Amino acid sequence: MAAMRLPGIIRTTPFRLTMLFLALFAAAAAAFLGYIYVATAGEVTRRADVEVSREISSLQAIYARAGASALNQALIERAATERPFLYLMMDATGKPVTGNIAATPVDPPGAEAHATFRVTETDADGAVVRRQAWGRQVKLAQGELLFVGADIGEAQGYVLRIVRALWGAGILVLVLGLAGGLLISRNVSRSLSGLQQVVSAVAAGDLNARAPVRDVGDEYDELASGMNAMLDRVERLMAGLRHAGDAIAHDLRSPLTRLRARLEAALIEVENGRADPTTSLAEALEDTDGVLRTFNAVLAISRLQAAGQIPNPQLFDPSELCAGLAELYEPLCEDKGLEFSVELSKGLKVRGDRSFVGQALANLLDNAVKYTPTGGAVMLRVRQRSSGEVECSITDTGPGVPEEDRARVVERFVRLENSRSLPGSGLGLSLVQAVAEAHGGRLDLDEGPGRVRGAARHPGRGPGLRTALIFPPAE
Amino acid sequence: MRILIMEDDLGAAEAMMKGLRDAGHDTTHAVDGQDGLDAARRGGFDVLVVDRMMPRMDGLSVVSTLRREDDRTPVLFLSALGEIDDRVTGLKAGGDDYLVKPYAFAELIARVEALSRRRETGGVSTTLKVGDLEMDLIARSVHRSGQDIDLQPREFQLLEFLMRHAGQSVTRTMLLEKVWEYHFDPQTNVIDVHISRLRSKIDKGFDHAMLQTVRGAGYRLDA
Repeated sequence: MAAMRLPGIIRTTPFRLTMLFLALFAAAAAAFLGYIYVATAGEVTRRADVEVSREISSLQAIYARAGASALNQALIERAATERPFLYLMMDATGKPVTGNIAATPVDPPGAEAHATFRVTETDADGAVVRRQAWGRQVKLAQGELLFVGADIGEAQGYVLRIVRALWGAGILVLVLGLAGGLLISRNVSRSLSGLQQVVSAVAAGDLNARAPVRDVGDEYDELASGMNAMLDRVERLMAGLRHAGDAIAHDLRSPLTRLRARLEAALIEVENGRADPTTSLAEALEDTDGVLRTFNAVLAISRLQAAGQIPNPQLFDPSELCAGLAELYEPLCEDKGLEFSVELSKGLKVRGDRSFVGQALANLLDNAVKYTPTGGAVMLRVRQRSSGEVECSITDTGPGVPEEDRARVVERFVRLENSRSLPGSGLGLSLVQAVAEAHGGRLDLDEGPGRVRGAARHPGRGPGLRTALIFPPAE
Repeated sequence: MRILIMEDDLGAAEAMMKGLRDAGHDTTHAVDGQDGLDAARRGGFDVLVVDRMMPRMDGLSVVSTLRREDDRTPVLFLSALGEIDDRVTGLKAGGDDYLVKPYAFAELIARVEALSRRRETGGVSTTLKVGDLEMDLIARSVHRSGQDIDLQPREFQLLEFLMRHAGQSVTRTMLLEKVWEYHFDPQTNVIDVHISRLRSKIDKGFDHAMLQTVRGAGYRLDA
């Protein structure tokens, strides 16, 4: 399993980033090490140079004061001390005269120069030790050559130990970094694999799949909740579409069945010469128009419900819309003997579709005019509620809707007993409700002004109905 | 009137042609957009009836091509797409009117005739005259046989529309769209009430009733 998973992890972005970071770190560490080495190694040589130069000056002073043989004597004495310098005195031809090393490491042997070289020593236990040394060669006044060197083996070893420690630390960092990278990428992969599973499940058609949210509040949680919200919306839309399809099929089947039956009956009647084809055809045409009206209403409701919102909302003035509708309906009320009044607040705005809202208000006005008996009153009012919501309400003094039926009448095809004698599809309020919801608002049904005393003498004064389309404030 | 019908549904086209012929018009049929464009380019039509969705070339492209070629023949779009946006798209492409399928013949014929009339009265005139009824568009006054008729602003607009289409049937939907500019249909016949008010003002007290109800269609103003 681990062997199978490793290559996968190596391909992940976090792992690659870790590797890149490690490579950068290693390069920086190498540069750092190099600098330390150069700096410390240089320091060792510089200090050797200072000491060697001081010794050379001291020896040159002896030479200048007492000549070559005195110098020779001094070298023999100094070579015998504890931790001596390395000496070699040569004549002008470069032949060694005296000293504690066999030959000059300077190349060519007659030059005034410095050199790094190795000395071989036998320590107290008899083991042969080779140590690094550094020395400088000068020419004396009579042409003799003097080489003085210093043992830098110990200091050099110290530097090497530091370098080795640094290397070790570097390797440790690399190993830890690599392990960290693997850990991080496994962690990230695990967080992402939840999301990936959801994506593949949805792609395979399972819209119920949801990404786990760990409530840590990190970016994975954010992505997961965002994805879940998106899936919720998609699911709602799909359900809406399915529902719309079912509803259209259901809502059209009955009127189409009715139409078909009527046509069939008419055909038999006409064949038997008992009916006039013109009448039957006219009736069938009227039925067809009814089916089409139902179809259009059902389609509009379903589209609104499926979309969940108005497709291209625009700002419009509800009072201006209502003023136009009032002007359209006022003669109708007057003809029916209804008192019609309008109360419009100015400067209000609603965000949505003017045409849909117009249709909804027309439906409400249609109902008010249709159900209110002569002698009653209808009032159209637009105002802003204290909550900032915009309310378009229509109040009538008709028979009203009993409280227990109010939730039911907005359902499709629900018509109350006492309204069956009047024309209507039973879709009017459903459409109004769908329009309200698509605007993020609602449809409220309430009692109107209430029953008046001696209602029997005022047929137009029932408890009444107040329908209100309420829109959220347009910001 | 010569009418070119671009419609790929042969059954619908046949019924439409029969209806228009019965109403006294010449019809030519094109089975797709390309065919229709070729026929329209040959010219000689008073109105084009264009289905929006056709094979080879869709109705919108046909009409916008014709408009680019400076062909101003009035166009009535027919479409199964009835959303407000679709209507706006159709009118923007150069259509003059838009009718959603399915439609009543009376509606189609009324709209086709209204379109052809619109071209005839393209000139700017400040007065309208139908029989003994006169309308002054500047003074916003109406007279019949020299008698002043007092109209509300909306009644004036309604009468103006009827006068501009005198002798033709206009449907309730047309009036709602063109006079009130509403693109939805109220379930009760609100328009009828407005018409009867107008009728009482222009016909009451005269021997001859000008504003006629056309059964199954709508209304007609006759001289």
